[in-house]
Amino acid sequence: MKRRDFLKYIGVGGAGVVLGGVFGKISRPPGAKLIPYLIPPEDIIPGVGAWYSSLCTQCPAGCGTVVKVMDGRAKKVEGNPLHPVNKGKLCARGQAGLQALYNPDRIKAPMKRKGTRGNGKPGEFEEISWERALKILSANIKDLSDKGEAEGVYLRTNTVRGHLDKLFGGFMESLGSPNYSQYELYDYRSLRFANKAAFAIDAIPHYDIANASMVLSFGADFNSTWISPVNYGYAYGEMRQGSGVRGRLVHVEPRMSLTGANADEWVPIRPGTEGIFALSIAYAILDAGLYSGKDVAKWKTALAGFSPSATARTTDVAAARTLKLAKEFAAAERPLAIGGEVVAGYDNGVSSLLAVNILNYLGGGTGAKGGIIPNPDELFFADGTQEMDFERGIAGFVKDAASSKVKVLMLHNTNPLFTTSPKLGLELALKKVPFICAMTSFMDETSAMADLILPLHTSFEEWGDDFTNPAVGAPVATLMQPVVSPVFNTRGAGDIFVALASAIGGKVAEDHHWMSYAEYLRAAWNDLYDKNAEISRGTLTFDGFWNKLLQEGGWWKKAVNPSGVKALSTTPKKVGKGLFAKPAKFAGKMSDYPLYLMLYPQAGHLDGRGANLPWLQELPDPITTVVWGSWVEINPVTAKQLGFKEGDKVRIESPYGSIKAFVFPYAGIRPDTVALPIGQGHKLYGRYAKGRGVNPIEIIPAVADKDSGAMALNCTRVKVEHSGGSGRLVKIEPTAKEHGKPTQHGRPIVQTITSREYKRLKKETT
Amino acid sequence: MSGVIDKIKERLKDFRRPGYYKEFDHHYAIVIDVDRCNGCEACVVSCYAENNLPVVGEQGCEDNRVFNWLRIERYIEGEYPDVKVKFIPVMCQQCDAAPCEIGCPVYATYHNQDGLNVQVYNRCVGTFTCATYCPYDVRRFNWFSYKWDKPLDEQLNPDVTVREMGVMEKCTFCIQRIRGVNDKAKDGKRKVKDGEIQTACAQSCPTGAITFGDLMDPESKVSKLAASKRGYKLFENLETKPSVIYLKRVMD
Amino acid sequence: MILKKLVILAAVFFVAFVIGYGIDAALRTDLDPVQPIKFSHKIHAGTNEIPCQFCHIYAERSRVSGVPNVQRCMGCHKIIKTESPEIKKLTAYWDKREPIPWTKVHNLPDYVYFPHKRHIRAGRKCADCHGDIASMDRVRRVSSLQMGWCLQCHKKYDVKNGQACWTCHI
Repeated sequence: MKRRDFLKYIGVGGAGVVLGGVFGKISRPPGAKLIPYLIPPEDIIPGVGAWYSSLCTQCPAGCGTVVKVMDGRAKKVEGNPLHPVNKGKLCARGQAGLQALYNPDRIKAPMKRKGTRGNGKPGEFEEISWERALKILSANIKDLSDKGEAEGVYLRTNTVRGHLDKLFGGFMESLGSPNYSQYELYDYRSLRFANKAAFAIDAIPHYDIANASMVLSFGADFNSTWISPVNYGYAYGEMRQGSGVRGRLVHVEPRMSLTGANADEWVPIRPGTEGIFALSIAYAILDAGLYSGKDVAKWKTALAGFSPSATARTTDVAAARTLKLAKEFAAAERPLAIGGEVVAGYDNGVSSLLAVNILNYLGGGTGAKGGIIPNPDELFFADGTQEMDFERGIAGFVKDAASSKVKVLMLHNTNPLFTTSPKLGLELALKKVPFICAMTSFMDETSAMADLILPLHTSFEEWGDDFTNPAVGAPVATLMQPVVSPVFNTRGAGDIFVALASAIGGKVAEDHHWMSYAEYLRAAWNDLYDKNAEISRGTLTFDGFWNKLLQEGGWWKKAVNPSGVKALSTTPKKVGKGLFAKPAKFAGKMSDYPLYLMLYPQAGHLDGRGANLPWLQELPDPITTVVWGSWVEINPVTAKQLGFKEGDKVRIESPYGSIKAFVFPYAGIRPDTVALPIGQGHKLYGRYAKGRGVNPIEIIPAVADKDSGAMALNCTRVKVEHSGGSGRLVKIEPTAKEHGKPTQHGRPIVQTITSREYKRLKKETT
Repeated sequence: MSGVIDKIKERLKDFRRPGYYKEFDHHYAIVIDVDRCNGCEACVVSCYAENNLPVVGEQGCEDNRVFNWLRIERYIEGEYPDVKVKFIPVMCQQCDAAPCEIGCPVYATYHNQDGLNVQVYNRCVGTFTCATYCPYDVRRFNWFSYKWDKPLDEQLNPDVTVREMGVMEKCTFCIQRIRGVNDKAKDGKRKVKDGEIQTACAQSCPTGAITFGDLMDPESKVSKLAASKRGYKLFENLETKPSVIYLKRVMD
Repeated sequence: MILKKLVILAAVFFVAFVIGYGIDAALRTDLDPVQPIKFSHKIHAGTNEIPCQFCHIYAERSRVSGVPNVQRCMGCHKIIKTESPEIKKLTAYWDKREPIPWTKVHNLPDYVYFPHKRHIRAGRKCADCHGDIASMDRVRRVSSLQMGWCLQCHKKYDVKNGQACWTCHI
């Protein structure tokens, strides 16, 4: 061997040994660390989960929750089994609330804008301290109030109830500004208006679906998103297979929504004529002599024009079917008609919902059991703070902002830029506001317009409470307590306002003299406890009561002998004269835009607020099974006529704009209608939501119901044509198959029995 | 000759005996009332949260790599206007005569004394045999070691293993909850009460369609529901003897 | 010719690599890692006869036995032996409001479920698995923590479901 080779071998060998050693070192992980607590928190046992009761804020329904906390982290949310609204159950959105808490896209510290408005890129904002942020905001407000222009301060929030609502209201009142209002895309404003008109109830009552023997739903998707889906979901289960007779569900809607899919009968009505249909059922009930009130003659005159045969052409429902439904409704032991958001989404929303209420009255659907139970709320609002404001809708705000009345705008957890039509001009109006402060947890479209961003706690990190509305026929208050320590440098809205009050000084500080929101909350509950014998019953001291409150998650009363709504506050004459003689109006000429456009909230995303949670993005839509994107539902017949097949990218064009989405041929929609889900199409809102799908609100006109002022979503016609373009429709289809077919030995996967057979079986077993 | 055949038959019978045990401690089962189910999918997200299921993203969904241990199948039947849409939640059926158990070459999936079909992650080598044998298509494969965007990982349930690349997984009937309740009962020196153990899906289901319990306890709620005349099992003809019992939907 | 030489070189490299890896493995000290503070179990549990669960307070209640929190250490060492250099290290951590970053001696993989609680309540002594800690200055792992080692005990005591996979692996 040559010396040179020898050296080579030595060299290579040496390098090998060293590299082998190094590889060994890095390939095995270093010893794991064992980090003890510095000071152990009270009643935490590492490795053992503890459950804390709290409140879900993923939608305004107000369900009580229990959160499993282990080693200081929230692991799981369940429904609070004691809570009367959700009875231990929780929906998909509520479960996913954990991903809002631990979302990587949460705003991690207060920020001040240095770039252009509306551009939510990270570089546009700089992080500042809380002290500085609060100073900037309080200086802006103080400046105005010193000049005596406090009414230039506006506060717009999403739905908040309970003491946060009282604090917001009190703060603005002390400041001298009347401009505090709440905004929600689905605020059920029209429904409340209709209830006020029909029954003089200024609120949403409790619909006792559980005990109804026949539910006639006019576009109320209560199984999916409408008002309080968990409560109604529970009720739906009880209605079907509870202790009583199996209830029947009939759903009236141009598109078969989730509730329609669960219904025994689906009535695909022409969009915008639901109110007329409800009245023609009422007419048929009168005509068949199934209503025996004193005012029967008056009603007959009032509804004279609504005979089933006369309205059949308008509503596209055969007269015979209307008659059959009317008989069924009136004959049912406990019938109940409910009018939902689809009906409220036309420009005749209030009148149509009023028509449904009239039908309830004439058909006997207003009883206490299986009917409509008003929610008494005087318990928490003895001071009369809760008032409905029909005046201050979002349109009114836009008018104020456009005329430079808005000087300082505070936004709390609300994203109206995403949920209002661009035709409303909100973006332009916001640009005119000199100073905007957004309190939010996520950088969304509206927050990007802000000059100052105050990051908020999520419901897992904050104190709070809720006077559930609608409750369950008896008052319900839910307490929210922090279950984990804040993940980021955020604060609760209540604490921000308490700090703000003391920084502004003067009357505001005098009226709001607490050290923290937690202190305010406790003091306010102490006040309720002292004043109200009903609340304090059963406990000796307030401390004992408070502990019970924390333990059980809130305070609620059992409904004792609830009564339905009997009296009708409107008169037949009034009804007949005017409100709903006409079908809804739609923008766009029939010849240019042949298809009706229906918008509905996607089950996982509601009004778009759930789109930033990966679990909800990956949750298939119940009907289409589409994930991570948008689609347009078209009847297969129409799709064939237009030459579309599933997954084609098409342009949906209204007189107000156009968007692109993928075709999903769906037999459960009228051939003259297309439907698009709301929820996707965010320009911002974190990595999971951004740039995904389309927001159909972009192509609707800014039309409001003329009575309630609520935004009408379903009031334009569209045309659909091939567009081409990138992307694809991703679905998660059923996969249980035998020989490649979704059948088992020739029988379907989901087996059914007829109702007749079911009755026979039931008779046999009892 | 016939004696040998009889012997083989006898042996096969023994082999077909669920779980190869002489006796079971429990027979955990789920009854799903399809007439109650409204397809809202609360159970699906509940399952994601409880069992550390990773989110695979749009591309992952398209590639059929989605980790839904529990899924709501929906069937659209008929033509406008006589359309019927049906929903059915499908998870691992915990078959008594499970095809997957017969298939696995490394015994990574086996039957335990509670009548459950258990998947042992650290034994699994990812041959995919079980998924191929399963007629319900409920087994999910880890094509990658999935990561959670920080701090989403703080939500991970410490009672459940985070699976790594190359491992098959499926619904466990929330075995960690079963173990947890058993543990508590043992501390109190008492028996587990009916209804005390709840799977994540059963707990969250708003309509109360899902009921979990022990079929060996004749007084339990599942036993009573399972006796319903509406009951049927998925792919009963394949003789897999599933532990999930469906109650037929009433539909005209 | 060159090819042959390259092959020989590669073989030499490979053998050397394996040797290097082996040397590293042999020299590893994960049985008794050096800790940030020279805490002596011999003094605490041995000489002073402090019971294990005085400090590892969760052993009977949780799956983890719990490493004592810094406050608990300081409870005694505010007074006792405050001048010792190791106690000064402890005081420094306490003053900085920092927990002590101990290195784990007994580290189980993620896919193993091991509850201390069940073992203690079944009457097992700490020393059964951890060895005679009371005689160790620096804690040394005496058990292999391999599955076979677990099972021999589960067999010996005829633990119910003690040999079923799902008992420890989920």
